[in-house]
Amino acid sequence: MEFLNELQTAAFWVGLWQIILINIVLSGDNAVVIALAARSLPRRQQTQAVFWGAGAAVVLRIVLTIVAVELLKWPWLKLIGAALLLGIAVKLLIPEGGGDDGIESSDNLWAAIKIILIADLVMSLDNVIAVAAASRGSLTLLILGLAISIPLVVFGATMLMKLMERWPIIITIGAALLGWVAGEMAATDPAVKGWVEANAAYLDWVAPAVGVVVVVVVGKWLAARAEAGRRETVDLGEASETKVPH
Amino acid sequence: MKILVPVDGSEPANRAVEHLISKLAWYRDGVEVHLLNVQHPIPYGNRVSSVVGHDKIAQYHHDEGMAVLKGAMQKLDAAKVKYHYHIGVGDEAEIICKYAGEKGCDQIFMGTRGRGSVAGLLLGSVACKVIHLSPVPVLLVK
Repeated sequence: MEFLNELQTAAFWVGLWQIILINIVLSGDNAVVIALAARSLPRRQQTQAVFWGAGAAVVLRIVLTIVAVELLKWPWLKLIGAALLLGIAVKLLIPEGGGDDGIESSDNLWAAIKIILIADLVMSLDNVIAVAAASRGSLTLLILGLAISIPLVVFGATMLMKLMERWPIIITIGAALLGWVAGEMAATDPAVKGWVEANAAYLDWVAPAVGVVVVVVVGKWLAARAEAGRRETVDLGEASETKVPH
Repeated sequence: MKILVPVDGSEPANRAVEHLISKLAWYRDGVEVHLLNVQHPIPYGNRVSSVVGHDKIAQYHHDEGMAVLKGAMQKLDAAKVKYHYHIGVGDEAEIICKYAGEKGCDQIFMGTRGRGSVAGLLLGSVACKVIHLSPVPVLLVK
């Protein structure tokens, strides 16, 4: 009956909302990759690319998250995880730099799946640290969070992308929440927990608040710098050519 | 006279294009129409471009932009008006005004939804921001 008792605590519901938002925001980049990689394929292959790509993401994420939850029980690892998480949250806010990076295009099914799989590997690792942290060791939260957010990525990749294009503030809120979780994680690391509880109980909320401020300020600053670094406005239309109707 | 016509595929934007076509006689020395669509930057730009590459993102913006421009282009084609077209990426009002400056446009000619002041305040209007930022005169069509 431990599960039912857990359902009745406020902490559970707060945690559930946190984990869902974090999952959505952190899977968002994956969704964008899936949407972009699949869009130049014929319709039937699009479905296949999304199915295999997202399927692999799901499996990877579940396995890695369970490993991460175990790891976070060790001393110092939460502190390291918190630092990693801050870095991840900041990176979410940086816009595209522009310039060619020589990545091959994905006009066939295999190339598309390859791109989605690489994205899975790179991006799942980040997500896992965050989700493991947000679940605070509760397996129920962990599973529910994954169960609710994964279908969103699989079936709603394009919709999620449009939503976040229109309201980028969603990502900022998500990143801020990651900062909060990172601060919380740092303050509850087994190595420092005893000291914090005895000497600096206020760190319970100060550390998370600092996390939020760090993520939003540094993220926005780097984003502004990336934006200013662009030499000129991007023009994707054929500007020089006038269309003359006959 | 160089006129910048920002369009987003919406009803008011297309109406503005129609209005421009019907009032071409206003501009005695002929008009050079520059259509512009501004796309929102893709979310997670930095992370996504490191995986899918810049070209793919540019291609995406181009395709989406062309789809939006289509309606306005057809109207201008039908009226046999010459035009250039551009697709920019970023904040709508900022890019519109930057373009007007960089391309040496004489006027910005755009549609506006004409929401009431309360809705306008809440939703924020691109036209409103353009008026504040624009280096050239702005003509709004409601």
